[in-house]
Parts: sequence; C-alpha cells; structure tokens
Amino acid sequence: MDTETKKIFGKQFKKNRYHIFNIICPVASVLLAFLAGGLMLLLLKINPLVVYGRMIVASFGDPYNLAEMLVKAAPLLLTGLSFAFAFKAGLFNIGADGQFYLGALGAVFVSLKLGFLNPWLLLPLALLASIIMGGLFGGLSGYLKARFNANEIITTIMMNYVAFGLTNYVVNGPLKEKAGAYPQTDPIPAQAQLPLLISDTRLHWGFILALFCAVIFYFIITRTSIGFQVRAVGLNRRTAEYAGINTKRVLVLAMVFSGIFAGIAGFGEINGVQHILIQGFAPNVGTIGTVIALLANANPLGIVIGSLFFGFLQVGANLISQTSQVPQNAIDMIQGFVVIFVLISYYIQYRVNAHQKIRQLKGAL
Amino acid sequence: MLDNTIPFVEMKGITKFFTSVKANDNIDIDIRHGEILAILGENGAGKTTLMNILYGLYKPDTGRIFIDGAEVVIASPREAIQKGIGMVHQHFMLIPTHSIVENIILGMADNQGILHLRKVGAKVSKMAEEFGFQIEPYRKVKELPVGIQQRVEILKAIYRGAHLLIMDEPTAVLTPQETEDLFKLLKRFVQSGNAVVLITHKLNEVMGIADRVTVLRDGKYVRSVAKAATTEAELAQMMVGREIDLHIENQWQSGRSPRSETAKPLLLMEDVMLRDKNHHPVLDGLTLELYKGEILGIAGVSGNGQEELSAVLAGLMKAEKGRIYFNDQEITNRSSHEMIHQKISYIPADRQNEGLILSMSIRENLLLKSYDQSPFFKNGVLNRKGTVENANRLINLFNIKTPDGETLARNLSGGHQQKVVVARELSLEPELIIAFQPTRGLDIGAINYVHQLLLEARLAGKAVLLISTELSEIFNLSDRIGVIYRGKILKVMDTSETSIQEVGLLMAGVDTKDSL
Repeated sequence: MDTETKKIFGKQFKKNRYHIFNIICPVASVLLAFLAGGLMLLLLKINPLVVYGRMIVASFGDPYNLAEMLVKAAPLLLTGLSFAFAFKAGLFNIGADGQFYLGALGAVFVSLKLGFLNPWLLLPLALLASIIMGGLFGGLSGYLKARFNANEIITTIMMNYVAFGLTNYVVNGPLKEKAGAYPQTDPIPAQAQLPLLISDTRLHWGFILALFCAVIFYFIITRTSIGFQVRAVGLNRRTAEYAGINTKRVLVLAMVFSGIFAGIAGFGEINGVQHILIQGFAPNVGTIGTVIALLANANPLGIVIGSLFFGFLQVGANLISQTSQVPQNAIDMIQGFVVIFVLISYYIQYRVNAHQKIRQLKGAL
Repeated sequence: MLDNTIPFVEMKGITKFFTSVKANDNIDIDIRHGEILAILGENGAGKTTLMNILYGLYKPDTGRIFIDGAEVVIASPREAIQKGIGMVHQHFMLIPTHSIVENIILGMADNQGILHLRKVGAKVSKMAEEFGFQIEPYRKVKELPVGIQQRVEILKAIYRGAHLLIMDEPTAVLTPQETEDLFKLLKRFVQSGNAVVLITHKLNEVMGIADRVTVLRDGKYVRSVAKAATTEAELAQMMVGREIDLHIENQWQSGRSPRSETAKPLLLMEDVMLRDKNHHPVLDGLTLELYKGEILGIAGVSGNGQEELSAVLAGLMKAEKGRIYFNDQEITNRSSHEMIHQKISYIPADRQNEGLILSMSIRENLLLKSYDQSPFFKNGVLNRKGTVENANRLINLFNIKTPDGETLARNLSGGHQQKVVVARELSLEPELIIAFQPTRGLDIGAINYVHQLLLEARLAGKAVLLISTELSEIFNLSDRIGVIYRGKILKVMDTSETSIQEVGLLMAGVDTKDSL
C-alpha cells in the first residue's frame, strides 16, 4: 500500500463497521424485546425476572428439553434459509409456509405409498419428493415474477392459501386415515421415520440435515456462479442486466432454491417428528423463519443461531405455561417484539448510512 | 411599466446535497416580473432540483430566497402557493377519475364541508377564456388529451393565486401544435406582470419563447443572458462545454493510420428506430459506420438519443426498426449477454447504478461479466484464487488506489470507481468499446488517464464509439465526429475538417453548410 492509498483509506475500514452493526442490531433487538415483554408481564403482575430465569433453567437444565429446542429449531432454520435465499436475489418470499406444506405433502405421499421400500431408498425418495414439491411451488411464484412482473410478496402469500387448501383436501380426501375419524393421514411406517440422534428424545437426523443445508446455502451463495448471479441481481438488477446476466432466469432459480429449503423443512417435520400429516400442523413455521432471516440479515450462520434462539423461546414458552399461570401468549409476545425491534434497527441503519454519506460529501467541500 | 429594479424572486447561494451528489452548488438566480425565464441545462444539471427548492419540495442546505426583496422561507408547497408560486411537474399531479373542477379545488382550505362545484366551474371556464381557450370543467381528467391535462395543471396553479409559474419540461409530452398553444398561453400569462420559469434542455424552445436564459451545468450556475443577446450555438456551448480550449492538442493525429478504401465497417447501424414510452421517437432512423482502429466521437446535447444509442448496442434496449451489423453479422436486438460475447464492451455513463455494484468488492465487480467464464468459474464453482489474482493484476495495471481487492466499490472515489469499470471492460479484450460519458465527474488526472486508455485501445486496433457531451473530449480523441440530434446522426465529419463552431451549431440542429 503506497502513501496515497494509506491517506485515502487510513481512517476506515467501513466494511468492518458493517459487520459490527450486523451483530449489535440483532442482539439489541432481542434484549429490547425481552425488556418490552417484561414490562407486559409486569402488567400481569408477574415478575419477569422469575419467569425468564425459570425458562432458562427449565430449557437448559434438562437434556430432553435441550434436545427439544433443537427439534423446534430445525424447521425454523430451513424456512429461515428459504427466506434468506430469495432475499439475496432481492425477493421477499413470504410463502415458506406454503412451500413447507407442499414439501410435507410430497414427503408423506412417498412415505405412505412406497412404505414397503428399504429406508435407505425410501428416505432419500421422500426427501426428493419434498424438494421437488417445494421447489416447484416456489418456482411458480418466481416464474410469475419473471414473466409478468407479478409482485412476489402477493403471489407467495396467495400461494400459501393454495397450499393450505390443498393439504386440507388431501388429508380429508385421498390420504385420509383409514379409520376416517380425523383430518389426518395414516402414520407413516417405521422405515420412513428418520432415525433419532439421541435416544429418549425426539431429536432426529433432520436437524443435521438442516445444518447441512446451511452449509450448502453458504457454498451456493459465496462459491458458485449461480450464487454470484443471485447476489448481483439482488444488489443491483440494472447492473446485473448490463453485465449480461439473465435476470429473469435468476429470479426463477432463486425462488426454486428458496422453495426447496422450505420443502425440506416439511420432510424433516413429517419423517422426523410428526410421522403423520395433520391438518393445520406446525403453524407459523414460515413466518418465524422470515423473522429469523431478517434478524440474521440473511447470513446463514446468523440464521443457525437465530433458529436456536427461537427454538429456545418456543420450548421455554411451553414449559412456562405448563408449570405456572403465565400464559404462553406472554412469551409469544416476545417474538412479536423481536420483529418490531428488528424493523426499527433496519430503519436506524438506513438513516445512519444516509447521514454518513451526506456528512462525507459536506466534508469534501 | 413595472419596476424591474427589484426582482420578483431571487435565490442566492443555493446548495443542495443528495446522498451521493451535489445537485446544486452555490447557485444565484433571479426572476423578474413580466418575463419568461428559461432555465437551460442538460439532464442532471440541477434545474429541477433548484425549482423544487423554490416550490418548497426540498430544503436547501445553504442559501436564501427573496420575494420582492424580502427574505422568505418556503418550507412546503403549501407555503409556496401562499406566496404566489405554482409549479407544473413533468408528471401531472391530477386524479384521472375526477373532473377538472374537482382536481382544481382538491385540497384547498375553503372547500371543506360543502363543495360549490358549479360556482368554481363557472370561474374556471371564465379563467380559461381569459387565456384564450375553452375548457369543459366537468369532464373527467382521464378523458382529456395530455395537452389539455397540462392546461388543467396550469389553471389549478393560477386558481390558487400563482403569479410565478414553474413549468418543468412542459413540452416533453406535447405535439408541436400543443406546444405552440402552450407558449401562447404562457405569453399571455406574463403580460400582466406575472412570471414563468421554463425548465428545459431544448434550445429551440428557449429561442422561441424565453426573454432571458439562465444556464446551469453540473449543478453550477454558468451564466444568465437575454435571449436577444445570444445564439443557439453559444447556448449549446454554455450547456455542454467546460471552457472549450481552442488550442486543443490534436491527439487524434498521433499514430493514426489511414483507412484503406476497401475497409469494411466493423459496426454498421442502419436506420435504427426506437420510441420512448410516450411513443416519441428517441432514435429516429439513426445510421452510422465505425471502423477498426478508429474513435468515432458522437457529439450532441444530452437527451438527443445518446442513451438509447448505447443501450441498443449493449443489448439493453430493443430497436423497433433498423439493423445492426457487427463483423458482417447481424446482431440487431441481441441480448446483453450475446453482445458481451460478441466482444462489445460498454462503459456506461452511470457507473454507480449501472457499471458497478457498489455493495460488492472490487474483485467481484471486476468479475461481473465473467460469471460464466473459466478460469474464474469452473463447472459453476468459483475459483477464488483465480479471481484474486485477476483483481490484483488489474488493480496494479490500472493503478486503482485501494488497500486490496476486497474493498467495497462504494468506498472508492469516483475516479477509481471508473477505473474499475474501464479495467473490467478492457480486460474482456473487446473489439468494440462503447464509451458513454466515460469521464463524467472525474478530476483532471483521471480524465487524462481514461483518455489515454481509449487512445491505446484504438492503437491496438479496437474500435471506440465515444459518446460525450464534452466537446473538448470529442475533439481531443476522435478521428471522426458525428453529431446526434433528435435521434439522428446529422452529419459525420473528419476531425481535421471541422470546427467547434460547426459542431456546436449542428448540436443545435443547424447545418451551416446547408444554409450557406
């Protein structure tokens, strides 16, 4: 580095400051959410410190509950990756819920119809089915975006209702349990169930699969041509077009990948936890995944950490409502506060950046 | 006779920043009673920003505003209207499903509760007649042609008590007949001591209607002149040139080899036609030839089709008519991807929004057009080491001042950002380089460096299409000069056989050799 370069770049590096922001903002958002949630608990005349303390002791003090946190985290990790992948291309995929359901449908269909197969064959096939279903369903919204410039936020939300309706039809019709009592399928056979990681818990290999997906996500985004194109389109579509990138193809592909991650979450829940498809199971998996992805600024490591945190919140809320008079909603509220503070932090970052730029320009006068 | 010693409006020392640019830089202007003042400048010269400040839409960072000699603060359009200032924007602010009358009274304080539409309607009709035209006050705006909608905007401003009308590029959407009608209306408006500010980049309009002209360039004030005391050619030079150096060193002569008679053009554009979204032709039968080893300069006032010319060649816009040949092969309306593979490089005018991705590193920006190329990507997987080497090589070769290739493009100065763009485009080993305003906003050192690179490219046998509004740049570098005017190449001349005066007049649409 020569002296002139040093003079120009002596004070910074600004890129480091961005990293710091990306850690401070989510941590502060979470802390403020607990603070605001605590104030709400005070209104119920409950000491928040006692509740939080009990949540932590109960969740971390018991191996079963600890494993349960990971069980809850697995689908959130995948739907978080789902939102993040589309986000990298500048798209807002609000349809992870629907893609998750479609993935679950694919997995349960294969597991029931091909249940006679060897698990080494059956499980990959069920996974493949969830990948195809989730990918196609996500890709459809991507196609509508690329072909007709249809707003993907709206189409993915609408597609969620299509997915819910389709699932309801399937569990009330073609795949309804033989007993015929409830809107649910028959349980899948034992060879279609993902093996447990730790016995006497519900923790299954789907969690490892989810972690593996985070690695794949990172690899695609940072180390492949398609990931490079996705990021280029997401950061500046005009420049991407100028550079010869087929932006429409990239938009569709980004939504396909996005749908695949959510679809795999469906496979994990069916073959790993539920072993049956019930109408209206695992609500909000996609929504919370969206929050996690935003909290993590679409960084895969951040999404892993965020999903573990939300897993903790869900298990903690369950335990608290079972053992005390604190309503589960009080803990759910904290999730809501996290969303609010994350959005505020995005706004603050935006303002700070704009302000700095103006100051730089004025300094140059 | 009105007292013209105190101007109607004065703006002094107006400076306005936007996040990445200085849109207005210490501008002084005055507007007098009874005059039509044209504010002339190219796209991005800061005309609209300045008037938006006067209309209270933007707050200036520095500067003061006086009306009839008294200092005022205009914090919102509402306050501007109260002070007698009205503005008609390029995009009309009308509700299409409402009638003319409803649009005119929209948001006015004395219309709360019960609307007196009939009364206002009669008043509006009478006002229109005073300005010499008829209007049906109860027609819905969406049923009206654009020219009439514009009159509704004008009536709306006058109805609210405007004595100063700011018209932002009013003729962009009008037919010639509508333009003439509009000018009649404006002339009548100023007869009673009112004033009009006409924001424009069209010289013929200025000459047709303005009393005085204030020229802005790159956010700075250039000069104010009475129309009677100037010519189109002089205005064109004021708009586009730095001080045009009449003793230009003719760099184009050095190392120039004469073209053989039988040489075939590398690039041939025939009768290319393209319309904008208002169906106005922006490329209107454009024809040009470009040979290997030459720089063809395209001079012209901006907004005459330069952007579209480069976009069509870069595969970013589709021509409606006409053909483009490259190396004897037709390439009309190929995609940007295919144009890049034809070895056509493009240095866009807007490096920050088109040439670069500011949130990516220098290394990645240098890679932008190579996302499907070995050795940087093999089977779709990144060869990181190869890209780092590529970045380091280009950073050294082009002397880009940066700690390393991982620095974000946004942290570079404008000159070095442009070097990244030029480095990438030249590293693709192009046969044709389209350079669109390649030195806009750069300092002298960077300008010279970019010029040198273009000259070297020409010496290496590449063809360069240099599109620029800087006449000095055109004359400095070009072997031949073409002038673009209203989407056509008006004339192509050898640089040695033309003069700045001739090119300046051609830029204003005047062909001296024809008229003499």
